[in-house]
Amino acid sequence: MFVIVAQVFSVVLALVAVSKSYVDFRARLESLSMFLFWIVTWTGIVAVALFPSLVDLLLRSWGRGGAGLGTFFGMGLVFLYFVVYRIYVKIERIEQNLTKTIQELALRDDWVKRR
Amino acid sequence: METMTGSLKRIAVIMPARNEAAAIGGVVLRIPRQIDSAEVVPIVVDDGSTDQTARIARESGAYVVRHLTNLGVGAATRSGLRAAQVLGADVVVTMDADGQHDPTEIERLVRCLVEGPFDVVIGSRLLTPQGMPASRFAANLLLNAVTFLVYGKIVSDSQSGFKAFSRTALEQLELRSSGYEICSEIIGEIYRKELRYRSLPIKAVYTDYSRGKGQHFLNGVNLLLELFIRLMRRV
Repeated sequence: MFVIVAQVFSVVLALVAVSKSYVDFRARLESLSMFLFWIVTWTGIVAVALFPSLVDLLLRSWGRGGAGLGTFFGMGLVFLYFVVYRIYVKIERIEQNLTKTIQELALRDDWVKRR
Repeated sequence: METMTGSLKRIAVIMPARNEAAAIGGVVLRIPRQIDSAEVVPIVVDDGSTDQTARIARESGAYVVRHLTNLGVGAATRSGLRAAQVLGADVVVTMDADGQHDPTEIERLVRCLVEGPFDVVIGSRLLTPQGMPASRFAANLLLNAVTFLVYGKIVSDSQSGFKAFSRTALEQLELRSSGYEICSEIIGEIYRKELRYRSLPIKAVYTDYSRGKGQHFLNGVNLLLELFIRLMRRV
């Protein structure tokens, strides 16, 4: 029962993500290559969610039989953590730059004269 | 009364403020304009207010530095410290704009700083906690513990916004925080730069208005996360 719920949740989430990506693509906020990337990625995630044995098949075809789903998800988690780290660093940098810009503007204003 | 040394010419009082139109006029007007022979200059840093904070502060006699958008109390404090340096302040006092701090205590902080001499004087609400809501008292104790964990320094009121800094301290402080975590970061800088400091008991004024301002519990959770991230970056 829980597995079915998880699979349905994966499909719904994928549909939401791809449709959002499509809307952004149509509004020219996202490039075609980025849109296609998200389609491929989410299709892969849904495929693994619906057919977990695909992972074993794939690993065996690469000569890595026996590694299993656990290894696959472990690698996935590491990759996701790396992505989160990179996003955090970028946001921190943007925040610092924004703060610096606003502060410079505030202190360039003639605040000393306008008392 | 013993006067301070003649070397003090200008004292800047910095108040980061966001939407404090109801209180800022009264706070600025109550700031003394002279302490012994030193001129006292109020500076309000308007951090993206959507009300008349800036206009009222200016009409009450303060310099006003305006942020186009809200950056956070840490960024506003840093802007104020830079403004004070532009004005050539010998001593800088930071205080809250919501009326929680009594402007008449500015002189006590400055005298303590000069006569110590100290580089930083922290006005501590927890040394005289009468009137402080119990939840705030507990939250401040917790944040003192977190500050100690991250920066290795115990002070009685790490989150106090009422502080006095000497010019030496101003020149040495390297602050990067944008939010409330700046209070803890200052404690960390005191420790790192081996600045001489003292905690001075102050009274905090808790009205319905000031209770609604300042750090809320959810801000405390955010602060814990910010400080944890800083701890990880230092390791």
